[in-house]
Amino acid sequence: MPLLKPHITVDDLRAGWGTRVLLEHITFQVERGTIFAILGGSGSGKSTLLRYLIGLERPQAGGIDIDGVGEPHLYEGVPRFGVLFQSGALFGSMTLAENLALPLTRWTAIRGATARELVQAKLDLVGLGPFAEHLPGEISGGMKKRAGIARALILEPDLLFFDEPSAGLDPISAVELDQLILTLSHDLGITVIIVTHELPSIFLVAAHCIVLDKAAKGVVAAGDPRKLRDESKIPFVHNFFTRSAPGMSAHKGG
Amino acid sequence: MSVAIRADREGDHARLVATGPFDLAHATMAARAVENAEALLAGCGSVDVDLAQLERIDGAGAVLLARLLDRLDAGGRHARVIDDPNREAARLIASYRERRAGLPERPTRVMNPLTRIGALAAEVPSKANEAFDFIGRCAVAFPKAAVTPRSVDWRSLPRLIQEIGADGLLVTSAANLLIGAIIGFLGVSQLEGFGTIALVPQMVVVAHFRDLGPLVTGMIMAGRSGAGIASEIATMKVSEEVDALQSMGFDPVSWLVVPRCLALAIAVPLLTWLGDVLALVGGLGATIVVSHMTAGAFVDVALNAINPNNFFSGLVKTPFLGLSIGLIACGQGLLTRGGAAAVGTRTTTAVVLALFSVIVISALFTFFYALIGI
Repeated sequence: MPLLKPHITVDDLRAGWGTRVLLEHITFQVERGTIFAILGGSGSGKSTLLRYLIGLERPQAGGIDIDGVGEPHLYEGVPRFGVLFQSGALFGSMTLAENLALPLTRWTAIRGATARELVQAKLDLVGLGPFAEHLPGEISGGMKKRAGIARALILEPDLLFFDEPSAGLDPISAVELDQLILTLSHDLGITVIIVTHELPSIFLVAAHCIVLDKAAKGVVAAGDPRKLRDESKIPFVHNFFTRSAPGMSAHKGG
Repeated sequence: MSVAIRADREGDHARLVATGPFDLAHATMAARAVENAEALLAGCGSVDVDLAQLERIDGAGAVLLARLLDRLDAGGRHARVIDDPNREAARLIASYRERRAGLPERPTRVMNPLTRIGALAAEVPSKANEAFDFIGRCAVAFPKAAVTPRSVDWRSLPRLIQEIGADGLLVTSAANLLIGAIIGFLGVSQLEGFGTIALVPQMVVVAHFRDLGPLVTGMIMAGRSGAGIASEIATMKVSEEVDALQSMGFDPVSWLVVPRCLALAIAVPLLTWLGDVLALVGGLGATIVVSHMTAGAFVDVALNAINPNNFFSGLVKTPFLGLSIGLIACGQGLLTRGGAAAVGTRTTTAVVLALFSVIVISALFTFFYALIGI
């Protein structure tokens, strides 16, 4: 029975600072074990919404419920989810292995050989096994992101957030990253929330999505991204999924 | 061929013939040519622009001609580009005419002085709020660090003490030595007239141990470590490392702020103490060079003057100076939002505030001592 409950429930969330409202009336649910995408153009508030979902900001109104436990509270016990930040956000003065071991030493009593084994297994999972002793500055951008995923996985969360995972990656690295996300979701049963605007990646991985729009300050469409692409009557959503600029079709005709 | 626009008038019709290279390298001349041509068009109803004799045109030249056409159209003159045979030039000009957005909105950040003062004043409550918020979080984090030691990055403490203390030793030592020498010189030159040179060692001890030592060391640390810590944490903030820490359940205040403040609270007293010793050396050197006092006599008087009051009243201040430098630098670092420019702004603010706080705290202690008669 508890498995049927949504993993994340966002109810009428309002985001902003002071009198400035960035997003409002945000309501959606994410089912357990699925890949859910938060879409929208630059400046539409996707990354802002992510900051609220992971508890870095407090909503002005409305609520976020993760796992039926309530709002994501920071630094109160073991974190219930992992986050991959846009740049990977690895700590520059630590090797990849040390970066991964950090949450372990904070939240568990695991030390020594066992810790090394767990760290190595996560690095192997993302294909970075040979680079355990490298510093973040010594590896490429795509590798940093994969290392960031490995670190997000170290505390065995059942929920992962990705902030623009394929931004700044070449097409092949981006596809590899998408495959990794699919693997994590299918093989490990992890619920994945992706913030992105990369269409190929959306159609490949996401089963459900919401589309945010700057002008509407909120959700303009929700559902299966492929269906939205084919059936949506909303001009912004249609343009977004078909990569066309407003007025482009008229231009072609004339 | 030089850049020019020839205007041939036939009644109320004019034909503008542009000649020469209309490109970035000749843009100034082209702009002047456009201006001159425009001046000749008074009273014209229709204008043809002939591009056939253009030697070369690029975006810069096209913009100038496009704006000329815009102005002619706006002035009610019918302007027409004769695009044969130079179709490419005509297309280039047309593309700049199509993409003409309205005048840019006046950005609100350009403010007159009064508005600026008003805006600054309006920010005061939120700034104070930020500061109190941070102080509150620190007040929670320090006791929590004692209860849950794992929430603090203790491993970084030795490195921080090394960077803040040991690596700063040279500059604080040199400064203290020189300040001691300055007091010595001043003392000799001023007290000589009264025949009380014997009091110079006492003056060095009292002035330096009680006030100048902590002040000089604190100010150097505020500049050196305040900037270092603020920029380090600000960079971590803008590169999402602080967010990553939070997402992994670390409280950045415990993890980053506690060790840095501790390192400063340990390093500043030690550096001040060493600085006191060096100031005595400086004072001694200066005194025996410019007066007849012997080194032995100087040391005798100085040792006599070093009583617990003089010695500890200065040192007691120093952990507080270190703590305030650390809190200000870390606080400013953590408040950083935005990109590289924000790191610079926050670092500057951190150094200014830290320097000021060192002076204010030193003064408060001195007033307090005067009040209770130490």
